[in-house]
Amino acid sequence: MSHYPEVVEKIVQDYLQRLGIQLKGFPNSDQEEALKELGSHIYESYCCESDPEPVDRILKVLRKLGEPADVVAERLQESLLNVGRLKRVPLYVLGGIVVGMFGLPLGFAGVAMLVGGLGAVLGLVAAFFATAALLLITGVAGMGLGLIRMLSPDFWDQLVAQGFIQVHGRIGQFFDLLSPAAQGALLVFFFMAIAAAGLGMLWLSKSMLKGLRFLFDLILDRAKTLFRRRRRHAFAWDAGRFNGTVSEVPAEGK
Amino acid sequence: MDYLDSEKERRVTQLRKGILELAVMGSLYGEHHYGYSLVRVLTGDGSLSLKEGTVYPILTRLDKEGLVRSEWVESDQGPPRKYYSLTANGRRLFESLMPEFDQLVSLVKQSRNGAKSRQNQPLGERILVKKEERA
Repeated sequence: MSHYPEVVEKIVQDYLQRLGIQLKGFPNSDQEEALKELGSHIYESYCCESDPEPVDRILKVLRKLGEPADVVAERLQESLLNVGRLKRVPLYVLGGIVVGMFGLPLGFAGVAMLVGGLGAVLGLVAAFFATAALLLITGVAGMGLGLIRMLSPDFWDQLVAQGFIQVHGRIGQFFDLLSPAAQGALLVFFFMAIAAAGLGMLWLSKSMLKGLRFLFDLILDRAKTLFRRRRRHAFAWDAGRFNGTVSEVPAEGK
Repeated sequence: MDYLDSEKERRVTQLRKGILELAVMGSLYGEHHYGYSLVRVLTGDGSLSLKEGTVYPILTRLDKEGLVRSEWVESDQGPPRKYYSLTANGRRLFESLMPEFDQLVSLVKQSRNGAKSRQNQPLGERILVKKEERA
């Protein structure tokens, strides 16, 4: 039985229909309850309004009540949390969403790319540290040799005679022009520069690790946000699918 | 100015969110109400503008938490009304929350009055007070 004039009834039904669409993700009983209660509210409010023109009157009532989306907004948050608590979304729903979004082959390819990318980054980091360590060790060893050349030329000669140290070509010719002390000093300075490069790389690695950490945090954060959003959609979809909807209203592309 | 207005609106919304729930509980403390009558009580003389739809999610939440109970009652004028009243748990919670709320309100008032009275003081006295405070 209608409580309103025909045109007002149409406006009210349209409003409740839009509300029904907004309430789609809720359990069936909650939807019915909310629509019944808000329908009652609209009627009470309509009766109390003093505007003599019925259409203006009902529009005023609905304006005061708020847009269906706003009316449902807070309720939605509560309900999704409850649905999440009561019924954990099965993994296949989430899996379905991933597959639905990217397709099966693309889904696997995406995972493979992710793993590959992570592996490559880890490889680069490892190579960076290996290079730094190598430069440092080479530098320290070279400086040691330079010191030997400076302080103990006989021992140096023994090492050359036994083939442990070999200096050929132009470098050898150039070295022959210098005194042992000068050779040693040159070696110490040269390898000191190499060791410094290694130390510099290690010092830079702090910033690199910070940068990588920031990058990973950013990616994780984005992934979490995306996952949370998808999970909310999954809750709404899940609840809507298994509980049905109150009104058989066509889904609007809103 | 627009920025200030929007900031004010955002903060008013935040303030109301917490207080509205308490106001709903307070309204249901002594009497039972259906949604529309509750809105009328809360908006009172019209000094508080309230989107009427915001009251229902609060009622639903309180109902689910067992702080209010609800029942549908047939109305001879139109569709049935859903009446709400505070449960014993709801009453206990409200009674425990009220002193906290009063304390917060008096804290805000106190700090505002303090600031006002300092503004009305002569400059010399204010400087003197500040020096004493520092000491």
